[in-house]
This record gives sequence, C-alpha cells and structure tokens, in this order.
Amino acid sequence: MEIHSRDYRQRARHIIQETPEVREAVTAATQTFDDHRRAAFDDLDRDALRRWAEGVKSHALTHLEEYLQEAEARLLERGAQVHWAETASDVHQVFQHIVAKHGVRRAVKAKSMLSEEIGLNPFLEACGVELFETDLGEYIIQLLGEPPSHIVGPAIHRSLEDVQGLFHDRLGTPFDASPEELAKAARRVLRDAFLTADLGISGGNFLVAETGSIALIENEGNIRMSTSLPRIHVALVGIEKVLPRWADLPTFLQVTSKSATGQPVGTFVSIIQGPGCLVGQEPDGPEEFHVILVDCGRTRLLADPEAWEALRCVRCGACLNVCPVYRQTGGHAYGYVYSGPIGAIIGPGLVGLGETVPLPFASSLCGACEEVCPVRIPIPKLLHVWRQRAVERGLTDGAERSILDLWAAAVTHPRLFGWVEKLMAIIPEWVSRRLPMLRDWNSGRELPVVEGRTFRELWEEGIE
Amino acid sequence: MSQEARKRILGRVRDANRDRETVAHPGPLPEAVEPPVPFGKAGRTDSVGAFEDRFRAAGGEVVRLFEEGSAQRWLKEFASEFESVAVCIGVPDDLQPDLPAAPSSDAALGVSVAVGAAAQTGSLLLSSREGHQSQLLPPVHLVWLRVQDVYGTLGDALEGRRENLPATLALHSGPSKSADIGQMIVTGVHGPGRIIAAIVGPDMGTGV
Amino acid sequence: MRVSLFVTCLGDRFFADAAADAVRLLRSLDIEVDFPTGQTCCGQPAWNAGHVPEARRMAAYTAKVFADAEHVVLPSGSCAAMLRCTYPHLLGSSELGERSYELAEFLVDVLGVTVLGGGLEGRRLAYHHGCHALRELGVQSQPMQLLTSAGARVVPWEMDQECCGFGGLFSVKAPEVSVAMADRKLETLPEVETVVSADGGCLLHLDGRARRRGMGIHFRSLASLLWEARRGNP
Repeated sequence: MEIHSRDYRQRARHIIQETPEVREAVTAATQTFDDHRRAAFDDLDRDALRRWAEGVKSHALTHLEEYLQEAEARLLERGAQVHWAETASDVHQVFQHIVAKHGVRRAVKAKSMLSEEIGLNPFLEACGVELFETDLGEYIIQLLGEPPSHIVGPAIHRSLEDVQGLFHDRLGTPFDASPEELAKAARRVLRDAFLTADLGISGGNFLVAETGSIALIENEGNIRMSTSLPRIHVALVGIEKVLPRWADLPTFLQVTSKSATGQPVGTFVSIIQGPGCLVGQEPDGPEEFHVILVDCGRTRLLADPEAWEALRCVRCGACLNVCPVYRQTGGHAYGYVYSGPIGAIIGPGLVGLGETVPLPFASSLCGACEEVCPVRIPIPKLLHVWRQRAVERGLTDGAERSILDLWAAAVTHPRLFGWVEKLMAIIPEWVSRRLPMLRDWNSGRELPVVEGRTFRELWEEGIE
Repeated sequence: MSQEARKRILGRVRDANRDRETVAHPGPLPEAVEPPVPFGKAGRTDSVGAFEDRFRAAGGEVVRLFEEGSAQRWLKEFASEFESVAVCIGVPDDLQPDLPAAPSSDAALGVSVAVGAAAQTGSLLLSSREGHQSQLLPPVHLVWLRVQDVYGTLGDALEGRRENLPATLALHSGPSKSADIGQMIVTGVHGPGRIIAAIVGPDMGTGV
Repeated sequence: MRVSLFVTCLGDRFFADAAADAVRLLRSLDIEVDFPTGQTCCGQPAWNAGHVPEARRMAAYTAKVFADAEHVVLPSGSCAAMLRCTYPHLLGSSELGERSYELAEFLVDVLGVTVLGGGLEGRRLAYHHGCHALRELGVQSQPMQLLTSAGARVVPWEMDQECCGFGGLFSVKAPEVSVAMADRKLETLPEVETVVSADGGCLLHLDGRARRRGMGIHFRSLASLLWEARRGNP
C-alpha cells in the first residue's frame, strides 16, 4: 500500500472541512465501540487482566525465535505448508506460485490488515484473479476503491446513505433499501463467490505455538466460510502474532473481543490447525492449508530498544475508539494502513520515520489510549520517543526548531525572558497574526489577549 | 527461497532479543480475575443457565430438553417449518429431522452436534470433523448440546479439546451479524441468521 | 508553612490575575508565599515537541530556581505533571517532583483543606479536566471537592474528560484537527455560566475558539474560582 502520511495535515483538513459527515460518522461509531468496551470490563479486574496479557505478549516476543519454530513444527506435523516472507514481494511470490499451480481464477478474502500492508489485492488482480473482499465493511470499501478507515470497522466513515447509493449503482438495490436489504444483496453476491472460489485468504489474530493453531475472530461468518469452503486456504500471519500456549488463547480471545466491540467474544472464532483431509479424513474443508509467516519490518521494530513494545498490539482498535484526534477524521487522514495511536507508533517502526514522520505528532498526548490498551503498550511514551528521533534526524520543520531554540535560550536567561514578554505586549495583533505558528493559531481561534500586567509585575507592586 | 528467508528472519529475531531482558510467562490467569462461579444472571449459578443467558443475549435461541423422548417430540414440531435439511456426520439418527436431505448450499436447515460449550462466553464448540458446510451455509442452524458438555469457563472448554484437535475447532456464539452498514446491526450476513442450541439432559440443579 | 509559587510561562503573561488570586488564597490559609523571580518555563513545549536537550536545559534551570523551595505550588496541572512525571526522566531525580503540586492537589492532599468557604453558592459551572492533571497526576476529585463544598453546582458534562485539542504545539501543527476537538467540547457543553479549568493552555485554546465562534462562554482559571470560594466567606 502506498503511504501518504506526510500529507497528514492536508488530508485531515480536507476531511474536516470538505466532508464533515465523515467526522460525524466516525465520532458516533467510535463512541459506541468505546461505550461497549467500558461496559464489558465493568465487573472484571481490568488491571489484573491487562498486566497478565502484557506479560504473556512480552514473554512471547522475548522468546519469539523458539515460539516461531515450535509453531512451524506443529503446523508441519498437521500437514500445513509454512512459508517465510521477509518482504511484500516474498508474499506475492508465494501467492503467484499457488495461483499458477492450481489455476486459481477466483478468491475470497477475509479482512486482513497485513494484506493491506503488502498490497496483496492489486497484485492478485494483476495475476488475473477475481478477488472478493467478504467482510461487509471491506466489501463496501472495495466497491468504493478506498482503503480501510479503522482496524475493526473498515467503513465506519461511511453512512447508510452512502451505502444505499453505492449498492444502488453497483448491485441494483433500491435507493431506500434498508440495512437488511443491503446486507442481503451483498450476501447473495458473496455467497456465490464463496461457493465457487478456488482460494480463501485470511489473516490471523493469533498463532498459538503449542498447537500450531491460527485463531481468527469475527461476527459475520465470512472468515468461517473463506477458510473452510475453498480448496486452498492461505493465512497471512505477522510473526508478532504468536501466543505461547493453548491455555493463553481463551483469555486473549475474550480480552481482544471486549476491547474491540465490548462482546464477551466475537460471534465466530475459527481455530485452525491444518487441512482436514490430512488431519483426519474430514468430510469437507480445504485440501491445502498454507501459513505465510511475515516479517515486513517486524524484526526491525523488534530490535528497537524502546519501540518494540508496540509489537504487543492485538489489533483490537480500542485506542482508535478512544482517541479524540482520530475521531475528528477517521483513518484516511493518516495515509497508512494503521491509523490512530497504534499507527503512529508502529508505522515508524515498520516502514521508517522518513515516510511516517507526521504521525507521532498527530496527537495531543492526552493519554486516553494508554488507559484502554489491553496489553499496556505505553503509547504516549513511544510517541515521545518517535518525536525525539524525528528531531534528532532533522525531519521536523526548521522554523519550529529555531523557535524552540530561541525559547530555550530565553527560558534559561531570565532577563531575556523578560524582554520576550515585553515584546509580546507591544507587537500589534495584525503583525502577530501573520507570524509562523500564531498564523496557524489564528486560522481557527482568536489570539490570546495580551493585556494588563504580568504576574511578575503584580508581584513587584505587592499583592493585597 | 523460503528457507533462506526463514534463516534470515529467525536470525534477525535472535539478534533483536540478544541484549534484551527476557520476560517470564506470567502463568495462568490469577484466580481473582477468573471467578470460579460461572456467569449469567445473578442467582443462576449453574453453567447451563449461565450459557443460556449469554447465548440469548447475543441473539441465539435456546431450548432445554430434559430427556430423549421430549427431544424427539420437540424436533418433530420444530422441523415441520422447514423443507429440507443438511445434517452433520455426528448427529445421532434419532436426533435427525425427518426431512428431505439437501446439499448445505440449498438446505433450509443445518443440524450439528456441539463437542462442548462455554458458559463464560455463551459459545458452542463445533468440530470440522462433523463437516463445516452444514454449520455455515443453511440460514438456520440447529445445534445439539449435552448438558454434561457445558463448561463454565472458555478456558476449561478449550482445555478439554487440546489433545484431539480437528482441522478447525470453531466457536459459534450467536447468529451472524454485522454493524458495517451505517452502524446498524443486521443478522444473517453470511453465516446463519438463526442459531438454536438444543440442550439435552437432566437438570443438574445448582453447581457446575 | 511556606510555599514557592511557580506561576508558569502562560500564567505569568495571560493569567496574572488568577495567579495573584492563588497567592491571596494561600495567604488566607496562613501560608507564606514566595516567588523566586528567576523562574520562567518548565520546558514542556520543548519536551512535547521532541526537543530533549532543550527540555533538559530548561528543567535543570527550573530545578535550580526552586532548589530551596519547601513546597512548589503551580496553578497548572500540565506543568505540575511535567515536574513530577517528566523531570525524573530528564534530570535523573524525582526530588523536585516530590515537593511540587498542582494548586487544588496541594490544598486537599497536603493542607487537608476540603472546604474553602461558601463563596460559590448558586454558581453553575462546568469543569474541564486537563489531560495531564487527570491522567498523569491523578488529580480529579480535588478540584471537584473544593468547588462543590463552596456551594457550586458542577454540572455533568459527558465530554468533560476528553482532550480539548490544545496539546501544546499540536494546536498549531494540526490546527484544523485541534479546532475540531475544541468544537466537540464546546458543542457538548451544558448550559453553564462558566467553564473552569486548571490548565492555561486549555483555557486559551477553548476561549479562543469560543470567541471566534461568538459563543459567549466564560472561561475562568480554577485558582480564581477557589479564591472566590474563600473570599465569599462571610
């Protein structure tokens, strides 16, 4: 996927000013998710749960080499095929081989953020594969030709009216079709795809090392179908998705579901160990099960002494749902597959600061995200880390750096500080409105009024 | 090619963790977080009752059938609404509806047997050994469940399956649903829009 | 008891009267207040912008200015949080942070004062919880207690803990988003005479937006309200 994070400010401005309905839709959706999340943890010791989950994930990451090998061994024993991919191109090659070998003409796909990272859809389409996104939200944005706006709800930025219009154009439904009628129309199209597809593609929420199991959580049933109806199932799994033990899985299924949507668990969970025909002559199910273990920047992030903690992420989206910055624009402003607080700390680690430098600054550092993260990623701390590195690498705006240098000089020299304060009092407003930074303040707000005496002066005079 | 990639990836993982302090696995979830009493409305401490509550809250239907005889009577009446059926392998003969068989993609009703259930999350455990298709394709899904297969926590339910895992162990915790269209909930999007848990066996009273 | 007031850079220039009220309030509780005149800025703008060496210089300077202070009191949640939560990282010592407090925190937690007087009887207020005070210092109940015990009705506000969008330089680096966040706060405000906050940055930002939109909302510093609470005591 192409990265447009450098345009964050312009993209955000465009969304807020030109398409205000997106802000409405995203605010409503994230507020709902967050309300449900809070209620779901009401009678639980959330703190103890989070500490436990943090411990398991940190343990998995610090022992990742052994767990990856264990997972691979279990998968191979059960007849799965395991591939290792360092780059997007490696993943493409695996698919190209499968498509060619099996003459794949049609594929059904479950939602996978990793597949967005590596640009899988355009690649498969270029290989001549007719590809159907089967998650309803993903199907909607596929028809629109847009990237996902949110980790859990890809189309939350779109209203009912938008979907009514879209389905009228593409599927022939009436303009005033109800949500049920729209879903039915999508179901018909996608049912046909499920039954005729040669290949099913999924991501993976978790990879359990002890049993070599891939676990996938959903509500619609499209993952169940994509992973069991076609002859071949390929699962794309980031290497950081490892959980050490089978006994870890039930708690992570629940904590992730609660954090994402407030449900005790997602409606359907697929726990997949291997292709049925090899495992035990099962009546149906895929004949081939491929797992692609993907790096794509994860080892680079793992090596980072501070930012590696971001790899604990279970992709629940809770941080997006609570972020007051995210909810003004939705995900498209960020120009990267992962948006919101997690995008800002994982993006620079996976693809580098050069491409993503505005993202750690796309935050007011309010700290709401850290409070809801089920695996206790210290998001504000990592935002600071990336900001510091951006400054050290000279990636921030020159004018800003100069102003801060001057400010630091003034602050450490009280006489100079005094002059700066006096200067502020005598600059006429029509001038200050045009200065860098103040100009940006003034675009939406009145400038603070500089009047009266400073406290310093009041103190000199004596306070009664 | 993949072998080279494997070596390099594992090598980088090793290097990344080389100077890092390892973190021990915290062990099982502390007791304080996992109350031993199963979940549900206040006062219903039996796992089956708790399972019922959760399953219904998610939009599933539950029927309690206390002996085989009543199960068959109920089945006859229930099945009369449907024109065809796709039955999973493991369903006992006397719990199969007397309806014309149809492929899963055409059948009005799918019938399967759960290999377990978890009260904590209101989940039915289904095995791919029974066959995926009849659990997914028909718009209505009837699942037989024995009282003695209902566990309190999801952890206990999954632990019971660990030794003998099928290709896919699935948790079904309600009807298929989505809120992707303007945040409004619709059911039966891809999977079954109706799921009925028919729980067979004596009332075991309070206690797990 | 003696405290040293750290008025903060915004406080000095834009909230001088409120800071003077803080002095009057503390004196009325028999606290001696001094004002180390070398003080300037805690360094938060540089720290938030990722300029660590500059932040460290400012922190070291500030620590020197307050080296002899028994207690440091700040009419600002975010600056107090800077001293307590960030200075240890910058200076390798939590010593200054341990004797520094936001004003309401100082009154309730150190002085044990929960009732200042009855001077806010009948007032309808909304309280904006600044993020740093709330989440880094855990200061939430203290301002509430002091306002309500003085007779004020702090009207429930669903968005009272949501970030206002100031975020320091964020306010000018992503101004459209920052302003949209202010709008959300302003548009969800219940009917009140006054909006109160312990953070100068938040107040300037919300007030600036409210004035641009002609919304006629009054914003006041917590310090001033607390002095009114006290002074109104017959």
